[in-house]
Amino acid sequence: MWEVVKSVLSAFFGVQREQRRRRDFEQGKPGTFIVVGIVLAMLMVIVVMAIAIMAAG
Amino acid sequence: MRKMLVLAALMASVTGLSRAARAAGWNMPVGVTEVSRDVYGLHMVIFWICVIIGVIVFGIMFYSLFRYRRSKGAQAAHFHEHTTVEVFWTAIPLLILVAMAIPATATLKDMYDASEAELDVMVTGHQWRWHYHYMGEDITFFSNLDTPREQIDGTAEKGENYLLEVDQPLVLPVGRKVRLLMTSSDVIHSWWVPDLAVKKDAVPGFVNEAWTRIDEPGIYRGQCAELCGKDHAFMPVVVQAMEQEAFDTWLAERKQEAAAAASGVDREWKLEELVERGEKVYGSICASCHQADGQGTPPTFPALAGNQAMMDDLDWHIDVVVNGVSGSAMAAFSGTLNPVDLAAVITYERNAWGNETGDVVQPAEIQALIDP
Ligand SMILES: [Cu+2]
Repeated sequence: MWEVVKSVLSAFFGVQREQRRRRDFEQGKPGTFIVVGIVLAMLMVIVVMAIAIMAAG
Repeated sequence: MRKMLVLAALMASVTGLSRAARAAGWNMPVGVTEVSRDVYGLHMVIFWICVIIGVIVFGIMFYSLFRYRRSKGAQAAHFHEHTTVEVFWTAIPLLILVAMAIPATATLKDMYDASEAELDVMVTGHQWRWHYHYMGEDITFFSNLDTPREQIDGTAEKGENYLLEVDQPLVLPVGRKVRLLMTSSDVIHSWWVPDLAVKKDAVPGFVNEAWTRIDEPGIYRGQCAELCGKDHAFMPVVVQAMEQEAFDTWLAERKQEAAAAASGVDREWKLEELVERGEKVYGSICASCHQADGQGTPPTFPALAGNQAMMDDLDWHIDVVVNGVSGSAMAAFSGTLNPVDLAAVITYERNAWGNETGDVVQPAEIQALIDP
């Protein structure tokens, strides 16, 4: 699971190692990546909003 | 020593160039408000960041192209990835963007903070003129383009402020926070004065806020910045900033004028008086759509000359001018013209260009219609 999170985060950042990419495609299930991706995207929105509210307040 | 000299010469030419660009009007103006100076400062900082990035990136690129050219036997390196470098060139732009966003956001916040204003002016966009209402002061007026028709048609030499001059500018005091409440009576316009760094959309049915505090007395010119129809280019903005004392005097004079203009509602007006006054009102308000000769530009702007429906039905004619026609370009003028001007312009329309109805509409009738 932690490996999936790491892969999704590096996809957010836009940089990934070739060997990790290959491993994800061979062993991972698409469903887990999609779910983790959606959760992390929502988390990012919350973090950005929190920063914006803090800066405005 | 030599390198230092080259560097100094480079710096001197760069600053000289940017100064020349500003003098030539290529750059945006520094303006006359704290906000406009902030905006200019941001613009220049970001511009120079872009220049530096450009010089570094293209410098490396052209150096590499030249240094490792094929004629010198250069061999391409074959590798798939370099995570460290990739992280580096992703993180650096991120940091640069955040570094730019912080001061930019601070300025934006400042621009949006219209609280604690000392004077409120309602700015209403019309096709195609601006209308100003000094809230709480009972002063309202239209600001019409003042460039002579001959200059626009090209039969006369264009003046210095061609299409940037109006009959009555928006007069504001210096050193005071003025809140501008923007809206529109027809389509979306945008009130823009570069020297104040104010550019705000005027949207029908909404009120947008902007504010300014002008430091120096002077005349600042701008334009409508949202394409709004055929005379979009003919509705400039002119702001005249004056010292508080002069502003107070101006305000008092305007109030007197307004009182004088609105007076006479109760007395009986003669046909000629109304026609004479109505012609002026028509020229500044109605002619841009219905044309000076009353021919209009059908089908959007119907002709008034020889308009039988209008001549036959006086009440309908009054209703159209006073209340407008919803869903059409015809605005309601009850809020922007006083009863005398309304009566005058209707009388004029019924007695001009061969419309010889002989009808006289008295200001008192209009007054009774507006607030019974
Ligand atoms: Cu406009």
